[in-house]
Amino acid sequence: MDTLTKLGILAEAARFDAACTSSGVQRSAVPGMLGIASRGGICHSFTADGRCVTLLKVLMSNACSYDCAYCVNRRSASCPRATFTPRELAELTVDFYKRNYIEGLFLSSGVLGTPDNTTEHMIECLRILRQELRFNGYVHAKVIPQTSPELVDQLGRLADRLSVNLELPSARSLQLLCPDKDAKGITHPMAQIARTRSQEERLLKEARGKCRKRSALSASSDAPLAGQAQFASVADGPSHDVPTVGAAQIAAASIGAGTRGLSRRFAPAGQSTQLIIGATPEDDNHILKLSKSLYRTYGMKRVFFSAYVPMMDDQRLPSSATPVPLRREHRLYQADWLMRFYSFDADELVSPEAPWLDLELDPKMAWALSHLDQFPVEIMDAPRKTLLRVPGIGPAGARKIISARKTGMLTMEDLARMRIVVSRARYFITCNGQRDPGAPLDYELIRGRMVADAQSTAYNRRQNANSSQLSLF
Amino acid sequence: MAEAELPHGITVRAGLGAQLSQALDAIEKALAAGLPVAIACERSLEGVLSAVGLGYLAHAPEGRVRLCPIDQCQPRLTEALVQMPDALQDDSTALAQRVYRGFRRKLAQGCGRSVNGDCRRCCPGHCMRKVVLACANDDPQMPEALHRYLRLGFSVGHDIESMHQDPRVAQVEQLERYVSNECEHTRQFVRFSHYADGSYGAVFRPQANTLPLCASYFSRRMGTERFYLADPVHGVSVLHEPGRGHVVMRLDPTLMAQLQQRELAADEHLMRTMWKRFYDGLELQGRGRLQRGYDLRTSWMPQRFWVGLTELDPRNDVQ
Repeated sequence: MDTLTKLGILAEAARFDAACTSSGVQRSAVPGMLGIASRGGICHSFTADGRCVTLLKVLMSNACSYDCAYCVNRRSASCPRATFTPRELAELTVDFYKRNYIEGLFLSSGVLGTPDNTTEHMIECLRILRQELRFNGYVHAKVIPQTSPELVDQLGRLADRLSVNLELPSARSLQLLCPDKDAKGITHPMAQIARTRSQEERLLKEARGKCRKRSALSASSDAPLAGQAQFASVADGPSHDVPTVGAAQIAAASIGAGTRGLSRRFAPAGQSTQLIIGATPEDDNHILKLSKSLYRTYGMKRVFFSAYVPMMDDQRLPSSATPVPLRREHRLYQADWLMRFYSFDADELVSPEAPWLDLELDPKMAWALSHLDQFPVEIMDAPRKTLLRVPGIGPAGARKIISARKTGMLTMEDLARMRIVVSRARYFITCNGQRDPGAPLDYELIRGRMVADAQSTAYNRRQNANSSQLSLF
Repeated sequence: MAEAELPHGITVRAGLGAQLSQALDAIEKALAAGLPVAIACERSLEGVLSAVGLGYLAHAPEGRVRLCPIDQCQPRLTEALVQMPDALQDDSTALAQRVYRGFRRKLAQGCGRSVNGDCRRCCPGHCMRKVVLACANDDPQMPEALHRYLRLGFSVGHDIESMHQDPRVAQVEQLERYVSNECEHTRQFVRFSHYADGSYGAVFRPQANTLPLCASYFSRRMGTERFYLADPVHGVSVLHEPGRGHVVMRLDPTLMAQLQQRELAADEHLMRTMWKRFYDGLELQGRGRLQRGYDLRTSWMPQRFWVGLTELDPRNDVQ
């Protein structure tokens, strides 16, 4: 089978994985190596359904020994199977990278016999990529549940980000749909990754502290090598003068030498996970609390939600005619965003009494409408945390307001000029004690207007017009 | 200001060449005659800053001078039009640098991060970045917007960084934001081709002069490869050699033809086909614009870039 055919099969096999980011690590160019990594990541294309394409997201193999009910690659599925050789995939990554198609590789795989065997193939691919082809770009590697800790460790030293898919929101659902997996096989590698990263962070802090002390001492004794120069010497190679922090853990002057020469070596972009939404009956309350717990317990960088796409007829799954729960997925991402960047807690957004997010309103607007007693907020003196609770004001807007109000009184027009979404914020704010007379703080009115606004977008109007024209025939 | 009289009648000012001195003379004469002045300058950082500098050298009050792009300048009634010389001449560049440094020092006054009254070398703030990015905008209002912004900055100093509500600041921030987005589009949607001689090349048509701003990014990313990037819209190219770094050059039609006439590498068509096959394979049914209610792909990837994208070119379909 040629590489083109394999690529077609293995890209389609990997498309259900929602996670595709190249963010979380900043890595400068290294002489003789190809590529860099940008902290914010770069999306090089977008699929017809609007998902970002930033990495070469493929499976190493779709020949899987497991039989997960929802998976198109499951053992019992009748589909063409293919497996990349490690070198083939590594070379393809470099070829695509040089054409600016991708930021790097997203490496996952079906279970080729055993998790360890699969991971060894993945490690070999990444070894060729990093060491032989001198690739310095981004790599995201999936950890197959139940992989040996030694192999997880090796994988983490070659990849920027690791992820172990939780797949389903409860152990019961996992047992029902993935009979070959168990919750411990998933949570153990997560815990190992979190632990290793935490140990590395502690060692790095100690090493940086020692370097700073040495730097100060050198400066006081007029030593020629001080400060940045000394850190640079760490970057050039291990030295007897410089504290070596577990040589295996922090190999100076290799991939990812940061500005101070001391940087993470194990999964520097952290770990993430993915949950399938809508295949099992768990509600948003369950999912957001689980998500919160994952962020806290395992230091997750992201929890991805993947709306279940019905592909197979199985009595354990929703009917294949069930629409993909896109709106629900969107609301969960919005709630997740509020938890990560707006200091919201999961308990504020959902509860056992109200376990589902409002599909008509975004979670921030829904929260504001259910806490009208906390509004209006005075723009001229509200603290950042309070400003962030106002619909239409985000972190950048809050920063601008706090900065601009030092130089003068702000009006609604000023806020509009500062790109605050005044059409949403005006109900919840006062400027110098003045309210917008056309925007009373009334639950029914605001809700009605917000829902109507969402339904009256140009696209929705066009859709409605098209559907009414079609109905004539 | 020291002056010297040349035999052919042009008064050359200290630090300025003959053409800049001529332009300065023209501004001063118009102002003395009570006329407002329109200075036609190039749409570039050097062009705008040197024009602002010339306005200051002429002691022109803010309300009596305005800047307009050299290719789209429409003088108003009674307005005297003065054309700036080539912005890449040494004296224009020197004047632009003088304005740039002066503005940076002015903004550094009162800034908590400044060192000895000037910006730190690695300052995380982006006061000057804002000016540099905004100057790359193609908007015909750009030179005048920058002129007003720089005048305001020279007047209020570091406070300008907090005056987001001021229309002059808001306009420049909008110009900056647009260029910043266009730089991101450049990093995203440039598609290199592999040539038979082992080098790589790409032609890209952004709606702002982004290549000079993104050149170092591509140089770092493709450090081991020889490549070129060309923007025929703005007449700019970037050439990179491994180990020697990159240069930003003006792009003339001859150079453009030379760059594009080279033979593609043997693997290029296969790679394009593979990339398109990969891209096509990623689409998920049931998540498209009809189900979603809006077209997410077009909002993230504007259609004006589609023509240059390998993955959307039907010629790269598997035969």
